[in-house]
Amino acid sequence: MSSASIGVQADRPAELDLVRRLKDPALLLLPALAFLAFIYLLPLVDLIRISVSGPSWSSYFARVFAIPLYWDSLVRTMQISVTVAGLCLLFGYPTALLIHRSRGIAQVLIATAIVLPYFIAILIRTYAWMVLLGRNGPVNKLLVSIGILSEPVQLLFNRGTVLLGMTAVLLPLMVLTIYSSVARLDQSLTRAALASGAGPLAAFWRVLLPLTLPGMGAGFLLVFVAAIGFFITPTLLGGPGDQMFAMHITQQADSVTSEGFLQALGVVLLTITLAVVAVAGRFLGFEFIWGGRKLTAAVPRAIDGHTGDVGRRSFGASVADFIGWPLLRLFGRLPASCGTWTVRLMGGLVIAILILPIIVVMIISFSSASYLTFPPPGFSLRWYEQFFSDSNWMRAFWTSLVVAAMSAAIAIALGASAALGIVRSNIRGKSAIMLLLVSPIIVPPVVLGLSLYSLFLRFDLVGSVFGLAAAHAIGGLPLVVVILSASLQGVDSRLEQAAAVHGASSLTVFRLVTLPAIMLGLAAATFFAFLHSFDELVLTLFLSSAELKTLPLMLWGDVNYRLNPVLAVVSTLEVLLVVAGLALARPVLATSRKATSQ
Amino acid sequence: MGEPAALRTTRSGDVGARTSPSGLPRERGTIGSSIAVRDAVKRYGSFHAVDRISIDIEPGEFITLLGPSGSGKTTLLNLVAGFQSLDSGEILVDGKPVHNVPTHKRGFGMVFQSYALFPNMTVSQNVAFPLRMAGVDRATTDRRVAETLEIMRLTEHATKSPSQMSGGQQQRVAIARAIVRRPRVVLMDEPLSALDRRLRESIQIEIRDLHRTIGSTILFVTHDQGEALTMSDRIAVLNAGKIVQIGRPLDIYRHPTDRFVASFVGESNLIEAEILQKRGSTLTMKNRAGYVFSAESRDTIDVGRATVLVRPERIAVSNEPTANSTPVSVTSAIFLGEILRIEAHMEGGEPLLIRCTDMADRPLPSVGDRLHVSWGAADCWVLA
Repeated sequence: MSSASIGVQADRPAELDLVRRLKDPALLLLPALAFLAFIYLLPLVDLIRISVSGPSWSSYFARVFAIPLYWDSLVRTMQISVTVAGLCLLFGYPTALLIHRSRGIAQVLIATAIVLPYFIAILIRTYAWMVLLGRNGPVNKLLVSIGILSEPVQLLFNRGTVLLGMTAVLLPLMVLTIYSSVARLDQSLTRAALASGAGPLAAFWRVLLPLTLPGMGAGFLLVFVAAIGFFITPTLLGGPGDQMFAMHITQQADSVTSEGFLQALGVVLLTITLAVVAVAGRFLGFEFIWGGRKLTAAVPRAIDGHTGDVGRRSFGASVADFIGWPLLRLFGRLPASCGTWTVRLMGGLVIAILILPIIVVMIISFSSASYLTFPPPGFSLRWYEQFFSDSNWMRAFWTSLVVAAMSAAIAIALGASAALGIVRSNIRGKSAIMLLLVSPIIVPPVVLGLSLYSLFLRFDLVGSVFGLAAAHAIGGLPLVVVILSASLQGVDSRLEQAAAVHGASSLTVFRLVTLPAIMLGLAAATFFAFLHSFDELVLTLFLSSAELKTLPLMLWGDVNYRLNPVLAVVSTLEVLLVVAGLALARPVLATSRKATSQ
Repeated sequence: MGEPAALRTTRSGDVGARTSPSGLPRERGTIGSSIAVRDAVKRYGSFHAVDRISIDIEPGEFITLLGPSGSGKTTLLNLVAGFQSLDSGEILVDGKPVHNVPTHKRGFGMVFQSYALFPNMTVSQNVAFPLRMAGVDRATTDRRVAETLEIMRLTEHATKSPSQMSGGQQQRVAIARAIVRRPRVVLMDEPLSALDRRLRESIQIEIRDLHRTIGSTILFVTHDQGEALTMSDRIAVLNAGKIVQIGRPLDIYRHPTDRFVASFVGESNLIEAEILQKRGSTLTMKNRAGYVFSAESRDTIDVGRATVLVRPERIAVSNEPTANSTPVSVTSAIFLGEILRIEAHMEGGEPLLIRCTDMADRPLPSVGDRLHVSWGAADCWVLA
């Protein structure tokens, strides 16, 4: 009898309190936080501890800054990173506008051309540039055939190729960040500017640009922070004069010099990264890291941010008036279609830079030649046969699959529970917890690998499949948390209430209402967590052993010693994997875009 | 647990005529529960969303919580539903405390403003949901769902998905889901506000008829006073987290207790007037324009000033002065079909709103015209 059962629990408040506390969704955060504390925070703290364990706390750091090699490399890293971020901004903005302004199938194609490379391993995209710019590559062939060069030259291994490669690798990040801020804008704002008599250029200058400034800032800083820790691309595309800071850490790790000095190098890189992120977070809100909006309305900050905003804007506005209007008047003489054509031209160039290398590599994988050359003299499947019949490649392939599946399982289990805890609980400091959960994205992989190495040595995990999967899950977890908390926030709470009021217990509500609603998000999160591990190279370099070789590790070895079309085969397979995954994830991306534009 | 109490269609003891404190004769059988809210408090920080509310709801009663947004009506409904927990006070259903019972064990039905139909289920799966949750067997479920769809005239839509239906149809599905279990209590959270006017009126009637047939207690939330007046047995008017008046629609409309209720429910003229003398329950009063009129008062006021409510439709209008009339000048006149809505100023500058039936022999008054108005003792209500 339900009328009888109703009264039963009413008069035991103490017990009820405990039950209520045990049901607090905040507890769901615990597994993920415990995991990160052990495998992420603890090693980083240990890294810092070792770096200050010299005769005096600063002795290792003093050495880092005393040796010109490292100081020069630090300055060079900053120069390269700023240049790359600037180039990405310059070319990324028009591309984001191009996506925003195109419609229908064109928009889908352009967006795919940007998103697809974003999910392909950096190693493979860098390899594609090596093919493209190689002595027998299409660029050399083209330049010779139109008579600019008399014979093929070495285009690789200089500062230019490093900048080109890093810009190409990081462009999608910039485009997607800016696009999300452009797409979030109310379309009628631009129309209102046009209706108020502003020309297309003036509308861009006075409305679109100021309103997307935070997006540009976020993009610039994300690219900059990623570039500081870059390791793969400069190693493969740079010459001896293009050593970046992260490369020194791996080199030192190989030659096992003095302990402490190595850790100090890592701490320097980490400190710079965190300092940039902290300054950026102060101005943009730390949400810029994961492209989200504030989880809790931080009222006080909104207020003082507002006053600051007004002051800055009026300064910005006067600068815009002073410099901008004369320029605008000058540009105003140009035909009105100029702006549109600039956007199309630059956007088209970006798409070519992103897509061409991939296409060239895919074509080369079917080459009949025994060395890398483009266009191929003939077509065959010989490299596919070689890949699938080589037991080393196959073993690495299976290892990667197993590690990635385990890693995705860990990331999903911990991340889904953490996302529920973040979205559903009312605990304080939600933003801080979210920041912690997402922070592995910004820590340079080299530093993370270095810090994990000593932890793995201590617990004898080096070369273990589970250890590697867990390490990869550190980076997979933020992806899962971000995707799932976004889809959880999209769940209509009224539906859950409707289920509960009509008799569904909280578990049933979750199973029948919440789970179906986040299913697509869950699928996407699983895929991205899997892909993250499948592509991971830097942590693997530190943590694997001779027996435990993943596919990226095999690729890395081969790229460094012999460039052959087997690598193109692996690259093609990876591209197919990503295409299939994106096709599966497309509904999710579409709905999340709808959600952000509302 | 056997068959849930909610599924028993009648309780024989409740059948037969009886009179509730609300004054309504009850001639129907009822399965509804009584609901008692005692000193309920819900705070958000220092804001009291629900501020010591007490209310007694009769079994089978249709009661409406009426108030502007932010008055606490939705919070009170959420407290009864169990979506939010009380800071203090208690909620009793049939005399038993439920405020610590989880929502899904309260056995209510509920209709949401946004329909809240499960998008991954068909219409009949949506309607079957409460029965599935109650563990009702397959055959009974199918029968009851078919019956309920029949009542709501949804039979031919049974296999559709909610997204294929119009707003009005979706809301009928939501109602079907709320009543399929024959719950003792049905909660309705502004269920009609997303619909257009014509549809709203037809579903209002449907809900009233349904209430007669199933006899559940209905707790209905709305900010639309017209809806409250047409549908409810009793109305509780809320303002700033408190119930300011509770009573039958006619009482609320005719005899509001204060200015807030008078102006929130229906259109009103609130006229400040001086009490000249009192004879029995009849007051003789004079307003600022010098107009002397008499008014009935139940209260004990006999001296000083008072606010008098005169409903716009109770004012008599003529073109020529009549016995005991006062002149007004027209500031606007709108033709609304069967009715004229006239805004005017009295001599002292006080605005006066008049609604009168259109008369074929009279042209529409224009701005600046002088009219003569009057009202009798029965047409006013003296507010405390």
